[in-house]
Amino acid sequence: MKRASVLRKMQLILGVLLFVGMLFSLYNVFIMVPTEQKMGIVQRIFYFHVPSAMMSFMAFFTVAGFSIAFLVKRNAWHDRVAVACAEIGVLFTTIALITGSIWARPIWNTWWSWDARLTTFLILWFIYIAYLMLRDYVGEDQRGARFAAVFAIIGTVDIPIVYFSIRWWRTLHPKPVLAGGEGSGLHPDMAFALYFSMAVFFILYLFLVATRLRVENSKMELEEIKRLHVLSTK
Amino acid sequence: MENLNYLFAGYSVFWLLLSVYVFVIGRQQKTIEQEIAALREEIKK
Repeated sequence: MKRASVLRKMQLILGVLLFVGMLFSLYNVFIMVPTEQKMGIVQRIFYFHVPSAMMSFMAFFTVAGFSIAFLVKRNAWHDRVAVACAEIGVLFTTIALITGSIWARPIWNTWWSWDARLTTFLILWFIYIAYLMLRDYVGEDQRGARFAAVFAIIGTVDIPIVYFSIRWWRTLHPKPVLAGGEGSGLHPDMAFALYFSMAVFFILYLFLVATRLRVENSKMELEEIKRLHVLSTK
Repeated sequence: MENLNYLFAGYSVFWLLLSVYVFVIGRQQKTIEQEIAALREEIKK
């Protein structure tokens, strides 16, 4: 199958890029960047925590895009891409939530606070867990798949709320360090490490999508062979 | 080097979750490919 070969090649190229990029990113995080003065060494969680959160947004926007495409064109492949990206988005959200909590413990003296940023981000996690459960429950039913697609599109409404929560409300979560206005900003080495880490996480995201889509493609191939087998035995 | 254990925990969680996810989808892929091969073999007979 043509799609299978494209996905395998993508997985291989992205895997090599990811390996090299990740090594350099770890070098940046643990050797190159200066230690933050107030928080100390634990602040280095930031370089994986922020990109994880950004990739979760990207994954959920992709889910919405492919859900819209599925509703318009009724192509099953679009629905499968949406489900795969939702799964990856939930993975990145889980990583961001847990690493954030670990970072918070020594700095805020608590694992969790019900402030606007943390709460809206947790709600985002619940929305896409619910989407995956719903999608699993409805199976191949087309009406159910369309309903799940609508649910996934509505779910993205929470993303701008999460993003702007630290601008709109007073929160325990730090104010934005990038494009945050007066008083915000990062040391140039820290900014470079963060941007580089984001680029590596984008490659990781694409790698996971290619890997996950190979499974979906194989599932479709298996279903087709089964269908043909049943027809030939009738 | 205060709070080094938290830094270690943070990065460990990242690598652990990522490894488990990649392992699970890798196994899924292998199982489906085996199923496809078995079915193709059966059809040939």
